[in-house]
Amino acid sequence: MILDALNISWLHPGLVLILGAWILPLLRGWARRALMVAIPAVAVVICLGMTKGTYGEVSFLGLEVVFGRVDQLSLIFSYVFSIMALLGMIYALHVEHNSQHVTALIYAGGALGVTFSGDFISLYVFWELMAISSALLVWQSREPGAGRAGFRYLLVHIVGGLILLAGIVLYGSENNNSFAFGNMAALEHTAAWWLILLAFLINAAVPPLGAWLPDAYPEASVTSAVFMTAFTTKSAVYVLIRGFPGTELLVWLGAAMAVYGVVYAVLENDARRLLAYHIISQVGYMVCAVGIGTALALNGAAAHAFAHILYKALLFMGAGAVIQMTGRRKLREMGGLYKTMPITLTLYMIGAFAISAVPLFSGFVSKSMIVSAAGEQHLMWIFLTLTLASAGTFLHTGLKLPYYMFFGKDSGLQGKEPPTNMLVAMGLAAAACVAIGIFPSLLYQHLPFAADYVPYTLQHVTSTLGMLAFTALGFFLLLKHLDPEPKISLDTDWFYRRGSLIFVKLFQKPLARFESDSMGKVCDVVMRRFVLGTGGLLRNFDTHVVDFAVVGVGRLTQVLSRILRTTMSGNTQHYALMMAAGVLAVLTLAMIVR
Amino acid sequence: MNFLERQLEDPICFARIKRWFYISLVVIALVEGLVLLAPIALPKLFPHEEHHRFWFESIPAFGSLYGLVSCVAIIVISKFLGKVWLMRREDHYDS
Repeated sequence: MILDALNISWLHPGLVLILGAWILPLLRGWARRALMVAIPAVAVVICLGMTKGTYGEVSFLGLEVVFGRVDQLSLIFSYVFSIMALLGMIYALHVEHNSQHVTALIYAGGALGVTFSGDFISLYVFWELMAISSALLVWQSREPGAGRAGFRYLLVHIVGGLILLAGIVLYGSENNNSFAFGNMAALEHTAAWWLILLAFLINAAVPPLGAWLPDAYPEASVTSAVFMTAFTTKSAVYVLIRGFPGTELLVWLGAAMAVYGVVYAVLENDARRLLAYHIISQVGYMVCAVGIGTALALNGAAAHAFAHILYKALLFMGAGAVIQMTGRRKLREMGGLYKTMPITLTLYMIGAFAISAVPLFSGFVSKSMIVSAAGEQHLMWIFLTLTLASAGTFLHTGLKLPYYMFFGKDSGLQGKEPPTNMLVAMGLAAAACVAIGIFPSLLYQHLPFAADYVPYTLQHVTSTLGMLAFTALGFFLLLKHLDPEPKISLDTDWFYRRGSLIFVKLFQKPLARFESDSMGKVCDVVMRRFVLGTGGLLRNFDTHVVDFAVVGVGRLTQVLSRILRTTMSGNTQHYALMMAAGVLAVLTLAMIVR
Repeated sequence: MNFLERQLEDPICFARIKRWFYISLVVIALVEGLVLLAPIALPKLFPHEEHHRFWFESIPAFGSLYGLVSCVAIIVISKFLGKVWLMRREDHYDS
C-alpha cells in the first residue's frame, strides 16, 4: 500500500537490506536496535506481500537484466531468507559492533538478490556480493584463527566466482548473447553447463569442494555464524533447483554428501564444527532431491531448505549461546550445563528434534518428501543411504552434542542463560520448527510444484520413531567410544592448507637447481654471446660509422668555411670576378644539362 | 535444583528412566511391526498409506532394525577411518 502511494511498482527487498544497513552506524542506543529489527522486518513484509510477475527489468550495455523474477520458487526462498535475516538480527541485538550488522544485512540482501535474479548478470553481481560480505563476516570475529580461515574462505569463493563468470561468458556466447537464467538442460554437458554447475556445487559445499564450510563457520563470531549457516549453501540449492533439476550426477553427489557430513561429525570435538558438518549432510538431501528432479523431489528440496534454515539457525544459536556464556568451544571441555542453562537446552533440543525429523517437528515433514521421492523412483540405495544419514543426524545433533554439552561429565563450568534477545530469537525459531511440524500445510501451500504429499501416515510415523529410538539405543550402548577426542580431522582443505606448502617445498629445490643450472647457462649464452655481442657490434657501428659521419660533416663544413673566408677579402674586384665565375658556371651547367 | 537435576542425580530415578526407555523401545518396535497389518486390516481408516516400494519394507520393524544397524555402522566405520587416516593432532596445520 505504501508502495502504491509512492508509485513504486516493485521494491527489491534485498536492496532494502543492503541500503538500510548503512543507516545503522548513524544511530545509537534504542533507535539503532529498533532499526536493526525494522530493516529485516520490512524485507519480510515486502516478500510476503509480493505478487508473481517480472519486475525490475533494466537494459544494461544492450543486455536485458532482470532483478525481479517473482514466482513460487523464488518466493518461498525469499520468505525464509528474510525471516532468517530478522531472526539473526534479533539474536545479534546485544552486539555493539556496527560493522558486523552492516555486513550481515548486506550478506542477507545478496542472498535475496540471487533469489530474485532472472538473468546471469544480476545473479553474478549478487553472488560476488555474498562471497565478499560473508568473508568480511568471518573476519568480524577478532580471533587470530578467524583471520586465516576468512582468507581461505575468500580464496575458495573467489575461485568459485571466477568459474561462474567463465561459465556465464560461455553461456552468453552459446546462447545468442542472451543471459537469461533458467533450466540449463538445453546446454547439457557443454563447457558452460559444467562451469556453472561447478560454481554452484562449490557454494553448495558438495565434497570434495565443500571443506570451506566446516573450516570457516566455527571460526566466525557466535552471532555471525548464525547468518552464515543460512544463505550461501541454500542460495546454491535454489539456483540448482532453478537450473539443474533432474541432473543424475546430483543424485549420487547428494547421497554421498549426506553420509560424508555424518562420518566427520563422529570425529568432531568442536561444537559448531560438528553442526557445520551436518549442514553439509542436510544440504546433501537437497542436492540429491534436485538430482531426482520429480515434482515431489523438487518440492522436497525447497521445503527442506526452508525447514533447514530455521532449525540449523536454532542449533547454531543454542551452541553459540553456550560458547558465549562459557567461553569454551570444545565438547570435551563442556558438560553438566543442563543445571544452569535449562532454557537454552530446551530450545536447542527443539532444533535437534527438527533436524532429526522427529514427528511433529519441521524436519519430519520436509525430509520425508525427499526420501519418499527417492522411493517413488525406486532408487533403493539412495533410499537406504538417506535413511542411514537420518540416523546419523539424530546420533550427533540430537544425542552426542547435547549429551556432551549439557549432560555427561560435569565440567564445573558455571554457565548462565544468555541475554534475553538471544533467547527470544531462539524461541521464535523453535516456535517455527514446531508450527511447521504440526501444521505442515503452513509450508506446503507455498511449495513451487504441484504434488500432493501426506507426511503423517501410520507406517511412516512408526518406522521413523523406531529408527530414532533404536539409534538412541545404539548411542547409549557405544557411548564410551564416542567421547570426543582432542583431534582435528583431515578434509579436502588439506590441499590448500598443507598440500600447497608441500608443493612449494617439493619444488623449491629442483626449481633452484633448474634456475642456477639450466636457466643460468641459457642466460649466460644468451646474455654474453648474443646480447653483449650484438651490443659490441652496435657500439662499433656507432663509433666507426655514425660518429665518423657526424664528425666528417663537421670537418667538411669547417674546411669549406675556411676556404669561403679567404674569398671574403673586402675587395670589389674579387667579388665581381666571383660573380662572373658564378654566372659562367651556371651557364655551363645549363648547357650541359640541356 | 531443577526438575531434570532431580531425575538424573538420584540413582533410583535414573534407573526408572532407564527402565522406561527399554520398555518404550520394545513397544515402539512392536507397534512398528503391527502397523504392517493396519492398511490390510482397515484400509478405509488409512487411505494415505504408501505402497511398499522395496522388499525390505515388509520386514516387521525394519525401521527399528535399520536404525540400530545404521547407528552402529556409522560409529564403527567413522571411528575406524578417523583412527587410520583422518584424525590428526590439533596443531597439525600450525607447524
